[in-house]
Amino acid sequence: MSRLLEIENLRVEIPALTGAAPILEGVDIGLDRGEKLGIVGESGCGKSMTALAIMGLLPGAARATGAIRLDGRDLLATSEREMQGIRGRRIAMVFQEPMTALNPVKTIGAQIAESLILHLRLPKAQAAERARALLDRVGLPGPRFSLDLYPHQLSGGQRQRVVIAIALACGPDVLIADEPTTALDVTIQAQILDLLEDLVAEMGMALVLITHDLGVVEETCERMMVMYAGRVVESGRTADVFAHMAHPYTRGLFAASPRSALLTSAREPSGRKRRLAAIPGQVPDPRARPPGCAFAPRCPRAQDDCRAAPPPLAPLGAPGRADHAAACLHPHPPSGMAGDVAASAEGAR
Amino acid sequence: MSRYLLGRTIALVLTALAASLVVFVAMAVLPGDPAAIILGTGARPDTLAALRAEMGLDQPVAWRYLEWIGGFLVGDLGTSYTYSVPVADLVAQRAAVSLPLAVLALVLSTLIAIPVGVYAASRRGRAGDVATMGVAQVGVAVPNFWLGLMLVILFALTLGWLPASGFPGWEAGLLAGLEALILPALALALPQAAILARVTRSSVIETLGEDFIRTARAKGLSGEAALWRHAVPNALIPVVTIMGLQFSFLLAGTIIIENVFTLPGLGRLVFQAIAQRDLITVQSLVTLLAISVIVVNFLVDLAYAALDPRLSRGGAR
Repeated sequence: MSRLLEIENLRVEIPALTGAAPILEGVDIGLDRGEKLGIVGESGCGKSMTALAIMGLLPGAARATGAIRLDGRDLLATSEREMQGIRGRRIAMVFQEPMTALNPVKTIGAQIAESLILHLRLPKAQAAERARALLDRVGLPGPRFSLDLYPHQLSGGQRQRVVIAIALACGPDVLIADEPTTALDVTIQAQILDLLEDLVAEMGMALVLITHDLGVVEETCERMMVMYAGRVVESGRTADVFAHMAHPYTRGLFAASPRSALLTSAREPSGRKRRLAAIPGQVPDPRARPPGCAFAPRCPRAQDDCRAAPPPLAPLGAPGRADHAAACLHPHPPSGMAGDVAASAEGAR
Repeated sequence: MSRYLLGRTIALVLTALAASLVVFVAMAVLPGDPAAIILGTGARPDTLAALRAEMGLDQPVAWRYLEWIGGFLVGDLGTSYTYSVPVADLVAQRAAVSLPLAVLALVLSTLIAIPVGVYAASRRGRAGDVATMGVAQVGVAVPNFWLGLMLVILFALTLGWLPASGFPGWEAGLLAGLEALILPALALALPQAAILARVTRSSVIETLGEDFIRTARAKGLSGEAALWRHAVPNALIPVVTIMGLQFSFLLAGTIIIENVFTLPGLGRLVFQAIAQRDLITVQSLVTLLAISVIVVNFLVDLAYAALDPRLSRGGAR
C-alpha cells in the first residue's frame, strides 16, 4: 500500500528569478496517516516552498519536477481543476500570519462555511451549523464568538484558531502548518500547538509542521527534517536527530536557539557571559550557491571534498536508527549532545 | 453603526452650510448690482432704489444670507431675474434632464470600469492587460466634449442610430428620452471609466497579493472565484472613493456636455444664468450643485460602512 503523502526528488525552480538554480532540490518526504513531521530551517531555506508545492500553489513562474503523490496519485500531474477539489478537502494549510490570512470584509462564519459549501455541497444553514461546531472545537465558543464576527474583532490567537477551523472544515488527510505560531505571543503559542496536536490525534490526519523553532518540533513531531538552501540536510526520527545532530548545520541551528543555553552553563570558564552562538555567514543566494555543499562556507568541519559536489542524503547507519540520514561527508560522530553543542558553538566563533 | 452615521450626518450639514456661505459671500462681494442689471444703465435712481428695496438688496448682508438660506430650507430658491419665475421651478424642470444624465453616466462608467479593471488586473502584464490599459490611457487624455462630438459624428450622423442633440422631453416617452441622453452620457462616462478602470486595476492587483487570497486558494477556490469573491469586495473600497470624487467632475462635465448636445439641463441653466448675470439663479444653483456633491460623498461614506465592516463595527472584544 502506498503512503498517504510521498514526495520524491522534488525540485522547484523559478527560472526568471534565479536562472537555472533550483529553489528546492532533491526533497523526499514520506508521511503516513497520524504522523507528524517537522520541517526546520532558517528563512529562505525552502520550507514554505515545499508547502506551496504540495498545495499546488507555487508562484506563477515556478516549475516543479519530481513527484508529489497523495495516496499514490501524482499531484504534479493533476490538472488545476482537480487540484481545486483536493485543496481544502484532502490537504489543508494553516498560515503564519493570522492577522492577514483572513478576509477583513467577510464574517468568520462565512469564511469557514465557504469550503463546506464548496467541497461538501452543504446547504447554507447546514454549513453554518458545522461552522459553529468547528468554532466551538477550536476554542471559540458561542455565543461570545458569534459566526457574525469580523476578523478585526478578534485577537491574533483567536484569528489563528479561525484559520485552523477553516483548514479543518472538510476533515483533510494532510494538514500543513507553516509557522503557525511564529506571529503569536509566547503564551498563546503553546495553546495553539496543543490545539493542533489534539486535532491531529482526534481526526487522524498527518501533520507537516513547518517552523524555525527546534523546540516546537521536539515537542510536537515524531519525525523531522532539517532544510538548508533548498535541500534536506538531515532527517530522521526526532529523538534520533536530537540525540545525535550529525549535520553541522543542525548543531549550529540548535546552538543558535535559546534552548541550547539551558543545556550549557550561563558563564564561560573565563567568567564572560555566554552568548547565543550565531551561525557565521549567511544563507547563500540561490543564484550563487557554492558548487559543493551549500553549508560549506559556514561550516567549521568543512574540508576540500565538501566543496566539490553536494553530498547526498545518506543513512548514517546507526543501529536502531534506520531512517536517520544526513547530507554530510564529515558528520559529527554520535555522542553526548550537550557538551558537543557547546563545543561546536565555540568552534563557530 | 449609529454613531458613525450620526457623525457623518453632522459633517454633511456643516459642510453644506459652509458651502452655502462661501457661495453667498462670493456673490455678495462680486461687483454688479442685480437691480441695475435688470433695469439697465439708464434707470432713474428712485426706480433703482425701489427695485432694490423690493428685492431686499437694501437689507444688511447677514440678514440677506439668513433670508436666502431660510428660503432654501423650505424649497424657495428665490426668483430668477431674467425669467421672473421661481428658481425652484427652473431647477425642477432642468433636473429632470440632468439627474438622469448624471446617473446614467455614473452607471455606465461603473459598469464599464469595474469589469475592465478587474479583467486587466487578472491578466496583469499580459496582452489583455496592456491592450485595455492602453485604451484607458487614451480615454484619460481625451476631453469629453471632443468625445461627444466624435460620438455624434459616428452614431448620429454616420450610422443614424441616435439623435445628434436636443431633448424631446419625458412626455415623448421613456425610450425617446433615453435615446437623447445615451450619447451625452457616454461622452461623460468614458473618460471617467478610463480613470476608474485604472484605479480598479491597481486596487485589485494590490488585493490579489494579500494573504487572505492565498487562504482562499488553499480552501480550494479557483483563481477566478478567489478574485471575485475575495479580492474584488476588498478592492472596491478605494474605487468607491474615486467614484465619489468623480461625481463633482461629472457635474462640471454636464455643463459642457449639455451645451454640446443642447440639452435643457442644470448645466446649461448655470451657463445661461452666468451669461445673463442672473445672480440669484447662479447663487442658488451653485449652492445646490455643491450640496449634491456633498450628499454624494455622504453616500460614499455610507457605502464604505457597508463595504468595510472595520468602519461600522467595534474593535477587538
